Amino acid sequence: MQLFLQNLVNGILSGGILALVALGFSLVYGIMNIINLAHGAYIMLGAYLAWQLFTSFHVDPMLSVPLAFVVLFAFGYVVQRTVINRVVRAPVLATFLLTFALSLVFVTIALFIWTGDTRGVQTSYAGANFTLAGVTVPWAKLLTLVVALVITGLLYLWLHRSKTGRAIRATSMDVGAAQMVGVRVAHVYGITYGLGAGLAGAAGALLTLSYPLTPTMGDPFLIKGFVVCVLGGLGSVEGALVGGLVYGIISSFATQFDVTILGQHLSGTGLQDVVALIVLLLVLIVRPRGLVGRATA
Amino acid sequence: MLRIIRLFLVAAFALASLGVPVAQVGAAGDTIVFGSAVSLTGSLTKEGHLTQEGYDFWKDYVNAHGGLKVGGKSYKVDIKYYDDESKPNNASQLAERLIDQDHVDFLLGPYGSGTAFTVAGIAERKKMPMVEGNGAAEKIFSQGYRYTFGVLSPAKKYLQRVLEMALLQKPRPQTLAISASSDAFSLEVQDGAVAWAKDHGLNVVYANKYPDGATDVSSVISAIKAAKPDIILNAGHLQDAILVNKGLKEQNVIAKLYGYSVGPDTPDFVSTLGKDAEDIVGGAQWSEAVTYQGVPGFYRTAKEYADAFDKQFHHRPDYHNAESTAACLAFQYALEKAGSLDKEKVRDALAGLDMITFFGLIKFDSRGLNVFKPMVVNQIENGKLVTVWPAAIAKAKVKYPARPWSAR
Repeated sequence: MQLFLQNLVNGILSGGILALVALGFSLVYGIMNIINLAHGAYIMLGAYLAWQLFTSFHVDPMLSVPLAFVVLFAFGYVVQRTVINRVVRAPVLATFLLTFALSLVFVTIALFIWTGDTRGVQTSYAGANFTLAGVTVPWAKLLTLVVALVITGLLYLWLHRSKTGRAIRATSMDVGAAQMVGVRVAHVYGITYGLGAGLAGAAGALLTLSYPLTPTMGDPFLIKGFVVCVLGGLGSVEGALVGGLVYGIISSFATQFDVTILGQHLSGTGLQDVVALIVLLLVLIVRPRGLVGRATA
Repeated sequence: MLRIIRLFLVAAFALASLGVPVAQVGAAGDTIVFGSAVSLTGSLTKEGHLTQEGYDFWKDYVNAHGGLKVGGKSYKVDIKYYDDESKPNNASQLAERLIDQDHVDFLLGPYGSGTAFTVAGIAERKKMPMVEGNGAAEKIFSQGYRYTFGVLSPAKKYLQRVLEMALLQKPRPQTLAISASSDAFSLEVQDGAVAWAKDHGLNVVYANKYPDGATDVSSVISAIKAAKPDIILNAGHLQDAILVNKGLKEQNVIAKLYGYSVGPDTPDFVSTLGKDAEDIVGGAQWSEAVTYQGVPGFYRTAKEYADAFDKQFHHRPDYHNAESTAACLAFQYALEKAGSLDKEKVRDALAGLDMITFFGLIKFDSRGLNVFKPMVVNQIENGKLVTVWPAAIAKAKVKYPARPWSAR
């Protein structure tokens, strides 16, 4: 029972950060129809920004989260308006290759600046934890989850209440109609892409608390983020959140299954990604739009 | 959806077929050109760079000391590198390119067992002698290959020494938990440790693997904690070691000894974890403390090697540096012995090599594996690596039991 609860907590804690990672990716895909392969690189840039501030000025990574968001937002906005906007209506493959190239460029630049050395942020509260009903909860990861949830909540409110947020949603529903009522689509695309990059940056800054930094650290998160947002439903804030938590919990519980098939011992721990992907397949068969996604025409 | 998946595959393929050349092509004639695909980006970046430093250090030494003397003629040495991006499939393609397009004379190994395994297959097909110092899995050497040689001790031995040391401590540990990354090297390290533990009356209470390149190991840690082991070992690479160590502290898992196969020896382990790295032990191929007296032709002791290395790269060499240099040394002595650049003759000379170097004995069994050199155990004390086993060369006694996380 205790192990069950511990695994549940582990799953939720790791799912929160996955949700934040998936959120920016999902927004960009849902609204601009761009599979943003540079998303992992933005995560990495956010992480290194937090690391640099921590190392040079002893700034706590938590305080760097909003800054990473703002810096990466601005950076993303500029990248969109100057580079990506040129191919925004082109076939998916063009944007695919473009963002892939951008990712290579960013990672190589990071390799030049910070080298390939593994870095880490060792805060005074690194590893600090508390125990509740026999379940150990690390503070850093709990804090990460809370911040991820707050950001998700704020984004949801902003998309539904603010004028720009509504313009973004309108654009995702029907570009032509949005233009007709006066939405500046190019600006909206810039904001959306900036948001995607900003969210990735914030996630990267948060990740420094529990994850070592290298210039290619974004790769596994890009792939997981992609899976998570397909699982939850592309393009929606709720989808990323639900997808992230479900993915985190499934891969956490997958560690519990040890089976022997035809004399072959299969360890659940080794197969947690496989189990999560099988669940994704099942969801796609039963509910192609994802767990909480809306059906599209 | 299918379209997206297909696009993803296209990009993955594009990524795999990219090889980024990072050094200029070596000249022919009076230069012997070695080729190597090492991991300069990707999850094994750090280890790949350490490998490259080890190779370059030897190259610079040889070129500064009149070159390699082969059959009465002196040759300069050059090494052509490609970045395999930490992906074994890239490494094998790049090895083919090194052989077929760049016409290198010999191959130096990549970093890691998975990569060395794929490259060894190419070396065999092309009858190209390769010496590697960074792939310890026996899987590489159990294929009946004739052209691949490894200067390092086999993977199975990595953590056995740690256990050997632990069993002589008081209070004697009774139980062992060992997790492993699902790559060829780490699984063999785990197998070797588990088999040794069972033979010596240690109760293995947890032995499991997690996916290669995992980003979250908290559930593995929870299972280990529930098993209440005296000794916790992890078979994996640097990033795994950091993740596992952070996880053990976060869930406050208390054991008498913590040991990782790869990680504690690289400087990044201490710089990333700070005081949480204290008391951690690691199995190592080599340390500055070893006391071999090598044959002439290169730095003869570990200390001379380490001091000169420090002067050039501004950090003390770790065992990845040393084993990479040792791979080059195997070529140096074999080439001198063969007196020819003929690939068959060099291969035969490698197979017959029996030399003491600063790194230890370099001698290969019939499979091409150096089973003759022992491992050492290092522990992190005050941010420094200290050799604590075997007792004959230990600089200090091992700190046992390890202090609880809150007291470091």
